Amino acid sequence: MRRLWWAVVIAALAVGVAAAQMLPWQARTKRPQDVTYLYPEQITVPAGREAVIELHFRVNPGMHINSHDPLQKELIATRLMVPDTSGLELSKVEFPTGSEYALAAMPSEKLSVYTGEFVLKAHVRATAGQHLLQGLLRYQACDTNSCYPPRNAPVAVDVIAK
Amino acid sequence: MKRSAIVLLVVLAALGLMIWAGVVNYHKRQQDEAKLKQFQSMVAATPAQPASGAEDDGFNPNPLQGQMAPNFTLKDMNGKPVSLSEFKGKAVVVDFWATWCAPCKIEIPWLEQLNNEYAPQGLEILGVSEDDLNLDNKAEFAKEKQVIADKANELKINYPVLIDDAEVSTPYGGVENLPTTFFINRSGKIVASSVGLTPRDEIVANIKKALGSGGQS
Repeated sequence: MRRLWWAVVIAALAVGVAAAQMLPWQARTKRPQDVTYLYPEQITVPAGREAVIELHFRVNPGMHINSHDPLQKELIATRLMVPDTSGLELSKVEFPTGSEYALAAMPSEKLSVYTGEFVLKAHVRATAGQHLLQGLLRYQACDTNSCYPPRNAPVAVDVIAK
Repeated sequence: MKRSAIVLLVVLAALGLMIWAGVVNYHKRQQDEAKLKQFQSMVAATPAQPASGAEDDGFNPNPLQGQMAPNFTLKDMNGKPVSLSEFKGKAVVVDFWATWCAPCKIEIPWLEQLNNEYAPQGLEILGVSEDDLNLDNKAEFAKEKQVIADKANELKINYPVLIDDAEVSTPYGGVENLPTTFFINRSGKIVASSVGLTPRDEIVANIKKALGSGGQS
């Protein structure tokens, strides 16, 4: 039993030391999100009637993300993914028009992007009570030199229908 | 009692070692991040550095530099397996890109020209696509692969385009910035790398560095 205890202690220490010694390059696996959901955290809407919730997001300075309607077919559009929620129906999401952008090295290729703050309008209908509108904003970000793989930014709004 | 004291001492020493390792690792990470940012701002703000400068500036943006390039075997657009190890004796440029990466579309035509120019000297370029692939759905996978093939045709890529369906980027540091390019010499060692859009002259300098070191085949 004592031997087993020793083995467990030594194994735990070895794993701890190995993890701490991991290469910095390997340790830096996930970049922070390039897009953050800002507000609202909670909203009150009329029960049983369609309401529009304005969802505010911010793209980090120096970054841009494709709009919902990118100008090239291979570009990854920004979209909102919301699973079905009992008592809360999401009928439509309005996306803003992207602003025109071009890389300095490729001025002729125009992109449709979001930068800074942008707002999505979510059309919802909720039954009386409290609901959680939870979803993910799927986006693909770039800066002037690099592009980054698509990411999902979490969105959560407490919807109170009265 | 004496034995317990020894155990306690060993545990404390190990904990101290872990804390020390963590602190050292944290500082190293901070330094590397600062260097990476500096590197990116340099790329945006300044013209290309000469090859010798790149070698002597004492700053290494990628810890893999100077190490043997991790081997990989990936399929090309025709489904043929291609291994990095096949190219020993040649200088190899491994360019991680994606169809949705606009800066990649600036670099790729340069790589095509450089491929024509330096292939007779023993240069091989491999473009590794980092596009998201649905490996669980054959129909989706075929569609996504076709998008890569279409883009490669549109860009007139004249070197093998490989599909990274095995997370080959992970041993290369978990490539997150695209494009990211590794320059491998004739003996398989990474002699340079670039992260993000890199001036053409710097790419040329890195290719020359890869061609000029590691011995001939």
